[in-house]
Amino acid sequence: MKSWRRKSLWLALSASWLFLFLLGLPPLLRPAVPPRPLPGAPEGWPHWLDAELLPSYSQPGELPEDAAPPTRAPSGGGCNWGACFDPSQCRCGGLKVFVYPAAGPTSEIHHQILASLQRSRYHTFSPREACLLLFLSPDAPTGAPIPVPAQWDGGKNHLVLSLHPAPCPKTFQLGQAMVAEASPPVDTFRPGFDVALPCLPEAHPLQGGAPGQLRQHSPHPAETLLALAEERGGWRTVGTNSSACHWDGRCEQDLAPNQTLGRATLPRATFCLIPSHHSAASRFLQALQAGCVPVLLSPRWELPFSEVIDWTKAAIVADERLPVQVAAALQQMPPARVLALRQQTQFLWDAYFSSVEKIIHTTLEIIQDRISGVSAHPSLMWNNPPGALLALPTFSTSPQDYPFYHLQQGSRPMGGFSALIQVGASAQLPLKLIQAVAGSQHCAQVLILWSSERPPPPRGKWPETAVPLTVMEGHRKASDRFFPHSTINTDAILSLDAHCSLSTSEVDFAFVVWQNFPERMVGFLTMSHFWDSARGGWGYTAEKANEFSMVLTSAAFYHRYYHTLFTHSLPRALRTLADGAPGCVDVLLNFLVAAVTKLPPIKVPYGTRAPPASGDPRPELQPPDPDCVNLMAAGFGHMPLVSSRLRLDPVLFKDPVSVLRKKYRSLEKP
Amino acid sequence: MCASVKYNIRGPALIPRMKTKHRIYYIALFSVVLLGLIATGVFQFWPHSIESASDWGVEKRSVRAVPVVRLPADSPIPERGDLSCRMHTCFDVYRCGFNPKNKIKVYIYPLKKYVDDSGAPVGTTLSREYNELLAAIADSDYYTDDIGRACLFVPSVDVLNQNALRVKETAQALAQLARWDRGMNHLLFNMLPGSPPDYNTALDVPRDRALLAGGGFSTWTYRQGYDVSIPVYSPLSVEVELPEKGPGARRYFLLSSQMGLHPEFREELEALQAKHGDAVMVLDKCTNLSEGVLAVRKRCHKHQVFDYPQVLQEATFCVVLRGARLGQAALSDVLQAGCVPVVIADSYILPFSEVLDWKRASVVVPEEKMSDTYSILQSIPQRQVEEMQRQARWFWEAYFRSIKAIALATLQIINDRIYPYAAISYEEWNDPPMVKWSSVSNPLFLPLIPPQSQGFTAIVLTYDRVESLFRVITEVSKVPSLSKLLVVWNNQNKNPPEESLWPKIRVPLKVVRTAENKLSNRFFPYNEIETEAVLAIDDDIIMLTSDELQFGYEVWREFPDRLVGYPGRLHLWDHEMNKWKYESEWTNEVSMVLTGAAFYHKYFNYLYTYKMPGDIKNWVDAHMNCEDIAMNFLVANVTGKAVIKVTPRKKFKCPECTAIDGLSLDQTHMVERSECINKFASVFGTMPLKVVEHRADPVLYKDDFPEKLKSFPNIGSL
Repeated sequence: MKSWRRKSLWLALSASWLFLFLLGLPPLLRPAVPPRPLPGAPEGWPHWLDAELLPSYSQPGELPEDAAPPTRAPSGGGCNWGACFDPSQCRCGGLKVFVYPAAGPTSEIHHQILASLQRSRYHTFSPREACLLLFLSPDAPTGAPIPVPAQWDGGKNHLVLSLHPAPCPKTFQLGQAMVAEASPPVDTFRPGFDVALPCLPEAHPLQGGAPGQLRQHSPHPAETLLALAEERGGWRTVGTNSSACHWDGRCEQDLAPNQTLGRATLPRATFCLIPSHHSAASRFLQALQAGCVPVLLSPRWELPFSEVIDWTKAAIVADERLPVQVAAALQQMPPARVLALRQQTQFLWDAYFSSVEKIIHTTLEIIQDRISGVSAHPSLMWNNPPGALLALPTFSTSPQDYPFYHLQQGSRPMGGFSALIQVGASAQLPLKLIQAVAGSQHCAQVLILWSSERPPPPRGKWPETAVPLTVMEGHRKASDRFFPHSTINTDAILSLDAHCSLSTSEVDFAFVVWQNFPERMVGFLTMSHFWDSARGGWGYTAEKANEFSMVLTSAAFYHRYYHTLFTHSLPRALRTLADGAPGCVDVLLNFLVAAVTKLPPIKVPYGTRAPPASGDPRPELQPPDPDCVNLMAAGFGHMPLVSSRLRLDPVLFKDPVSVLRKKYRSLEKP
Repeated sequence: MCASVKYNIRGPALIPRMKTKHRIYYIALFSVVLLGLIATGVFQFWPHSIESASDWGVEKRSVRAVPVVRLPADSPIPERGDLSCRMHTCFDVYRCGFNPKNKIKVYIYPLKKYVDDSGAPVGTTLSREYNELLAAIADSDYYTDDIGRACLFVPSVDVLNQNALRVKETAQALAQLARWDRGMNHLLFNMLPGSPPDYNTALDVPRDRALLAGGGFSTWTYRQGYDVSIPVYSPLSVEVELPEKGPGARRYFLLSSQMGLHPEFREELEALQAKHGDAVMVLDKCTNLSEGVLAVRKRCHKHQVFDYPQVLQEATFCVVLRGARLGQAALSDVLQAGCVPVVIADSYILPFSEVLDWKRASVVVPEEKMSDTYSILQSIPQRQVEEMQRQARWFWEAYFRSIKAIALATLQIINDRIYPYAAISYEEWNDPPMVKWSSVSNPLFLPLIPPQSQGFTAIVLTYDRVESLFRVITEVSKVPSLSKLLVVWNNQNKNPPEESLWPKIRVPLKVVRTAENKLSNRFFPYNEIETEAVLAIDDDIIMLTSDELQFGYEVWREFPDRLVGYPGRLHLWDHEMNKWKYESEWTNEVSMVLTGAAFYHKYFNYLYTYKMPGDIKNWVDAHMNCEDIAMNFLVANVTGKAVIKVTPRKKFKCPECTAIDGLSLDQTHMVERSECINKFASVFGTMPLKVVEHRADPVLYKDDFPEKLKSFPNIGSL
């Protein structure tokens, strides 16, 4: 019995322990086997059990209240835009720039800069009026000390400009002046205050400038991947195998001599490696012009206009300590990126760097942008064609309002068109023309620009139109028709002369075409320019030819933005010139649009018409003043016009198919 | 044995009959069982902190139980931050050298509790936000747990708020980290820098070369290109859900909602309010709130009480003034409400200003100009204001919304500095999703007219129609600008004719044999193509004259980013069937050109072969049809532009029928082509084709002009 009892006792004990153990085991086991990820995967940050109980980093009551504003900046030599520039003087009338007359002997480049500044719309002759005073630092150190300029005032609102990275003889303290300097060292450059300029080659054109050298969008299959800027000034091309040359430009063994290109030649490669030291900065522009994507390894100098230009779109800036990775990255770069980089180099070169004038104007535009704050150029305008110098933010700050950015914005030109009819000295009412134009389904309004000495006829004499008709008094100047009249409320303008004749069909079709090319001019009558080697100058003709480069503004569609650009960005001298010779205005607007778009205008069909009853030839077909085009070319610094050999017709134009199928039937009439 | 079982079963009933001695045994036994059960229950259901507090000898899972590190009073202190630090001087990039996929690897030190000699902690061990931040990093692709492979180190020392730590001791804690090495490649996160009364704008903890992601930097403390300016996180972001409110006019033009403003600023604001009336509203903290109402969630003006941050949605512009610190959590609240922040804090470095374009989402007013704020804001056109409101909200959603968003944006910025060639673009950082979706970035955006001297490469796709092929070669070779002819021999069962049999032409002729009879072979980017212009031509297109082809090439030069072709086609919306329909009749519009005869840029060959979306390429090869429609879709989608149809319509010998062997335009063919359009439109997710009403003709086409003086007289003749 005893043993039986003991046995049963033991059994009960062990059974209950087992029971206890089974119940208690899972919770005991749980912490022993944490929810650990599979072995091999990183362990990660632990999930704290008391994560919910952790205190917040800032307790609401903790923030000090009524705290004294911190004292102003520790003025330890540092300057920034807010502290050292007083924009209050710029408020009325915007940026006005006064340039100190050169002190002492001046070089050619100084004269050029002065001249180009005086052409700028920001220039003023009065230091009182100016909100920015520009001091040109002499490019050659002279023995004589430089006198402190008259209005210096500690350098406030001053810009010291030195185009060449010559060791500047800082005989007076720069103080609060901004410095615009070629390739400034990154250590001393004050972002948002100083302006970084490019390091210019010795002979940089003042105006116009050489166009970019890129001839194709995508690299030629046989093109070398990389060229190295050499100490001596040339470029050495290397194949995909860069083992022969170090990344800093030193080469262990000289490659074949013909692979080293001369000083003046531009590199022919997809990428151009520019050494990081300061003296190589001048090679940067060369590469840019050649369409060779600059590769910079930890440059010690600030990239030009880095405040506004997004250089990641046009250059590769990488760490010099990871050359292998950079080499691999260049070789594996997707074609889409290479394509984009190449094109961007060309756009930037053409927009901001190809001439001294562009560089100066860009510098002023950057300062203007700082002053204007909210209404400055958006980054989009700086970094997309045609560039910020040709996109005036006074027109609008919404990119959709410009003709250039519809693709990026996913937008379309707004509204129908405004017909702008200029009535000249004859003061004849263009009744038929008004009817034809107002009959178009796209016409939003008709504007009459009355430029005659005689007063416009009373309201009742004007024809009844379905769209509003407004009569504006002009100033009887030729350039008046391109003034940005506030009454123009559509993106498209149909510019017309009173004596021209158009049919509604022609207008309709031309407008539909324009909607596809809002940045170009779409016209009916054309002119072409040519090089007259006999006279050694440009000539142009309105005769029928196989190609054309201009359309007459006596009947043409274009974007209203070009009125703003014409009035506010063209040098005054050119506009005066155009006012003097009526035929010249056409040429000038065509020059302007071509310089912006780099493309030819578009011609649409224009039915042949019986000559006017009076027998005199239409004024627009008169042989224009041959000098005009040469003067314009001189004023622009280059010949921007581009020729085209095509005309855009309706799809079924003169096709052997029933006229009833055709949308623009009246264009078919012989 | 048997009996014991029996006994056991009847056990409870026997207990009273048992001897006292046994009874004690059993009672003891049952109480043990009971105790065991209770203990189990306690472990199961008690709050977890207790469980982890008891030392199980395995992983520590409570913040309170992390290992304690005692810092001797004389342990080293790092040097003060070096203001001249830049990535190329103070950052050891070699550590990042072997990271694949251009992604830095980030290591997080394990959490420790630091105490000084006397055992007093040096600061908060871990705040909720810093825990979230480290967890976000650990969950991201950047994270590595291998300290040897890491390129960036994040200490788990919480320095988010300087007020919650002891400066010197925290610095000592940093200095004793395993890989500290003067702070090289270490990243500290701090949102509330400085301490009273001066409030430095950067963390005061000496940190040597460590990078600082700081909220509230000023131009004087911010090391451009080295430090990262981050937002001051607003805890209200998680507490309050503010639904997105569309842009447009709101009740108040300008609102100030911050509490604890400096009296000078408040006076200025009140002056604005007095001058402009109801348009300006200046709120302050409420003085007489009832119990239980959170003061941070209410604002008052006189006797009116407003809910914060909801009231921010009632204003177009919201003032964000600096307080004692430059960085203000209010900025986050304001952005969340879609209110345009008016930042009045001189020399403040806005969050993520290295990559974010704040001009698009905010207005910065100098403190001196505070009284002009109203007129400055009034001068902004309404369209721009609405754009800014959208942009403000988007910035909040992308970069302010959570601690995770802040952490990942910071790491992305550092990553982009180390691998700049793989960096995220301005547009990706700044464009809201709507813009990204609707915008088109043309790969050939430069207005560049390629020189005529370059010429074009003609690519003839052929199977076995040798006779017709030779005629095409002879015809095409007459075109002056042809520079090379490439025959793509798509027949694997038959060899191309012997070299001697081919027509003798003035330009190089190359024959490429393909591995498979696929239509896509026509669009392969062959190395032999040296020119940018490519003329795709079928082996039966013999009706195009030399003038027409030459003119087509010149049109392409003016439109190098488009398909320039001869026969045009149109897509239409079939309202009855509710789907797209293919149209080849004489229509007034075109939206496609057939690639049986078309010029295009060779880059599109690359796109077709390697970047065609979805399974379109395989689909085309499987169906042996619609490769031209696919190309039209591709080019229109990537450029956002329409095709150019050149010269009048001709009676083509059904150039699109090659695939179905001479069956003329019958119904099945049209149905199949329509199906292609519908299929492709669904793959692209949109209809990219653009419809136009024009075609290109020579300037003097059909004009009253002597034919022999025209450049391209032989156009449109049948």
